[in-house]
Amino acid sequence: MVDGEFIHPGFVFLFGSLLIPLLKGWLKRAYLLAISALSIALVATMQEGTYWQIDWLGVRMVLGRVDKLSLCFLWVFTIMAFLGTLYGLHRSEDGHHVAGFWYIGSSLGAVLAGDYLSLFTFWELMACSSVFLIWYRRRPESIRAGFRYLMVHVFGGLCLFFGMVFRYWQVGDFTFGPIPPGSAGVSDYLILSGFALNAAVVPLHAWLPDAYPEATVEGAVLLSAFTTKTAVYTLARAFSGYEVLALLGTLMTVYGVFYALIENDMRRVLAYHIVSQVGYMVAGVGIGTAMTINGACSHAFAHIIYKGLLFMGAGAVLYRMGTCKLSELGGLWRWMPWTMLFYIIGAVSISGFPLFSGFVSKNMTVSGAFDAGRPLLGIFMELAAIGTFLSVGLKVTAFAFFGEGGKEVKEAPWNMLLAMALASGICLFIGIYPHALYRLLPFEVEYHPYEVSKVLEVLQLLGFSGLVFFILKEKLRPEPKINLDLDFSYRMFTKYFMAFDRRVIALLDYLLGEVWKVVGMRGLYGGAEASDSFDRKAIDGVVDGMAYGVRTIGDRSRRLQWGSLQGYIALSTAIALLALILFALE
Amino acid sequence: MGLFENPLPYDALSTIIFLPLSGALLILLFRGERAARVMALIFSLANLALSLPLLFLFDPSLSGFQFVELREWFPGLGLKYALGIDGISLPLVLLTVLLSPICVLCSWRAIEQRVRAFMFCLLLMETSMIGVFCSLDFVLFYIFWEGMLIPMYLLIAIWGGPRKDYASLKFFIYTLVGSVFLLVAIVALYLKQGTFFIPDLLFKSYDYRFQFWVFLAFAIAFAIKVPMFPFHTWLPAAHVEAPTAGSVFLASILLKMGSYGFLRFCFGLTPEAAQKLAPIIVILSIVAIIYAGFLCLGQQDMKRLIAYSSVAHMGFVTLGLFSFKLWGLKGAMLQMLNHGVTTGALFLCVGILYERTHSRLIADNSGLGKVMPWFVAFFGLFCFSSFGFPGTNNFVGELFVLLGAFETNKVMALFVIPGPILAAAYMLRLLKRTIWKDGETSPLEDLTLREVLYLLPLAVAVIWMGFAPRGILGLMESSLRLYLEAVKGAM
Repeated sequence: MVDGEFIHPGFVFLFGSLLIPLLKGWLKRAYLLAISALSIALVATMQEGTYWQIDWLGVRMVLGRVDKLSLCFLWVFTIMAFLGTLYGLHRSEDGHHVAGFWYIGSSLGAVLAGDYLSLFTFWELMACSSVFLIWYRRRPESIRAGFRYLMVHVFGGLCLFFGMVFRYWQVGDFTFGPIPPGSAGVSDYLILSGFALNAAVVPLHAWLPDAYPEATVEGAVLLSAFTTKTAVYTLARAFSGYEVLALLGTLMTVYGVFYALIENDMRRVLAYHIVSQVGYMVAGVGIGTAMTINGACSHAFAHIIYKGLLFMGAGAVLYRMGTCKLSELGGLWRWMPWTMLFYIIGAVSISGFPLFSGFVSKNMTVSGAFDAGRPLLGIFMELAAIGTFLSVGLKVTAFAFFGEGGKEVKEAPWNMLLAMALASGICLFIGIYPHALYRLLPFEVEYHPYEVSKVLEVLQLLGFSGLVFFILKEKLRPEPKINLDLDFSYRMFTKYFMAFDRRVIALLDYLLGEVWKVVGMRGLYGGAEASDSFDRKAIDGVVDGMAYGVRTIGDRSRRLQWGSLQGYIALSTAIALLALILFALE
Repeated sequence: MGLFENPLPYDALSTIIFLPLSGALLILLFRGERAARVMALIFSLANLALSLPLLFLFDPSLSGFQFVELREWFPGLGLKYALGIDGISLPLVLLTVLLSPICVLCSWRAIEQRVRAFMFCLLLMETSMIGVFCSLDFVLFYIFWEGMLIPMYLLIAIWGGPRKDYASLKFFIYTLVGSVFLLVAIVALYLKQGTFFIPDLLFKSYDYRFQFWVFLAFAIAFAIKVPMFPFHTWLPAAHVEAPTAGSVFLASILLKMGSYGFLRFCFGLTPEAAQKLAPIIVILSIVAIIYAGFLCLGQQDMKRLIAYSSVAHMGFVTLGLFSFKLWGLKGAMLQMLNHGVTTGALFLCVGILYERTHSRLIADNSGLGKVMPWFVAFFGLFCFSSFGFPGTNNFVGELFVLLGAFETNKVMALFVIPGPILAAAYMLRLLKRTIWKDGETSPLEDLTLREVLYLLPLAVAVIWMGFAPRGILGLMESSLRLYLEAVKGAM
């Protein structure tokens, strides 16, 4: 069953976590890093093939399916696991480290799973371990947000579960493989919605901006990497070429940006950008050509690193300042210059500047969309890129690191800085040597990002957005009130655009968020209370009423020197006799 | 119907049935509370040890009754003293002997008044519970079935909570009404066949009208015991008031007698009626799963919550049974054992908290993550197991039940979907509130060695049955096939 060549990196994390509580101080930190580094080494020596096949009650389970698609995700997951562990090294609670390791280990397990049963197991484990990364922040709002997060994911997991049980009776096995769009049935769409929920596909995305900003500083870094990207992997594995994903993915790219523009909390801005960036991947999977799937995978790779980097930067600010609300920040360049530098590298990467990782990955999907004859989708994705640069690149940098205000703080701890430096290095490395990344992709690539026309196009777009930002900087200032005395027409457009964004889109998202909070949670509890009172009043009322009736008869019978209990027994015997007579008559 | 002789040199089944009874009588002879506790523990542990030969010498390839003991009792009436176990009753017997010493241990400190009487009742319960699963004669079965009522009634009525009178009487009356219907069915079968010997009655083709009425009487008796919606309201009342050991016996063993009865008698005696009336049972099971899930979510009392969750779990058992598929039957049997282990363990956990905080309300027992980490670890495991987290025992059971249910009726099975979601919701809500709290928690003592000692076997069982249920499934498979074919043959 166990091949000598293959050791499951997920199990290294799962079992490795057991030793954490036994170690102390430097030994523990070295151990944490060693386990993460070991997992990278395991992936580096991995050969394609199928390993660790288990027969479990007649069902074939595959714990180690290694092919190009899973290898690509394994690489970035283990690298990110190392960076995330390094970043969170100072954390004192063992429970937080254990939860992190379980979360990483189970997402690696999900990527390596070759059947639905083991996929589901790791899927649920992922949800239940990651919630502790939110709960460990210990704020009342974090506890509540974590619970909502857990509920949503358990719900998504059960969609997957019922889909897979349903599918078992149609197909006859639990093998997890591609499902051609033409042959998909109800069970497949159940599975698809389970995956889509984890990928935060609009309109199933509300859990993400609700939960991630409430996570711990170190937890958010890990959260941003694994949950949504595992879902992207499963979608790419099973559901490539589904039109609904192409459309919803494109919607996600624009939708997340709209909301990020008006958000005030740094980490909330970033959370909405996960929705937007994952949109590129989902759309890439949905369009389903070799180029766009490659684009989705390379973008997942690049995104995990730079989004992790951005969350590290925002987390460092939160760690030192105690808040990451933009309206309360400012002037941090003086106190946290390194954090600022690394954050900006992440920001230009996500915005897709040439020489940074976002450029070589994002444009692959966009070009792929044009090549596949879907220009409309491509145009929307390009538009979303402007918003990304405006919000993550310019708005956050301008209001958090520059400007006035803020208090004097220390630079982030060494381990945070080192993790950010390594992540920045990877962003640059991928941007400069994209072929290192392209070699990992599932299909052979003939894509050259640094063609003059593409570079110029992107620079024009970004330059234009930069110009817009500096003209309209005040409009984007993250404060609740809007300045009304503007009379230039182009400013009028901006004003109405921002008003539209602030009011309509925000309202829409607010509504979506409320719908699942209110209808989901309160509806659940309302139903619970209603059933409870029904149970006590209706059912129990009838029963107790009958019992009191019988007791009254018993009281009357007491004149015949009977206790009430005997009364019941007498009644029961009478019923029995009656029934016997009925039988005898037959 | 094959009957296989006892390979052991002594009467193995009589021994494990009557050893606790003799222990109970011995307790009455001695004075002193400590002696009573120690004696009860020794006798229940000895019984556990004595039942191990049954497990090792049981031949899983045989579908009939093994270790059979057969003696004439009242020859004039056709009464026999007949005992025997098959793949359906053996796991339940093992569950009973496993839980008995645990119940003694969990009452070690919790029960301070009338300790001797309490231990006497516990051992008496053990005798009658094992007796029910081993009896091969209907009169013997009925005696054990009824014999269980009195010690259980006393457990609730003497050592119970504030509303113990109401709860114990309600429990007693409900069960008694059920028993009357059981008696009616037994007598009807006797009138038809002239014997009380169960192997002679099983798998005979009775005419449909007869089957219909007998099934109905059985179904009411067992539905109250299970309990199925809408006969379930005695359960939360009894659980909330019962002492911990009483709750554990009630949830883990007594409820199983209902589902055991469904399988043994409704399938074996009235297969045709079971087929025809199955839709009603299936619908009631699904209603129970959903409805009880909602009820759990609204509870403030931990014991009440777990009691209602039992209704939902037992809904899975009856759903699996009446899917008439091997998957479903296996799943139902597994769920019976899983529920015994997990829900028993949850009641033990609540008992542990009650000893410390003297409250069963969730609000009074929150924020324990920091002060009782070991307790939270065990409690978390059992909560996860309760809502069927993959890798735990309940996941396997529910998966099998659903595989069976989907095979039988896809549309019906779709209605179950909210059930596990609700289960996750109420269990996670309970767990969240137990672990976290706004503000500081006053210090509480973490688990003692005695408490770890009795939670550990159950925790091991949760994981072991989740990862490797093959051994247990192997024990029951051939017996289940026999009953499945009986029902299928009646089509």
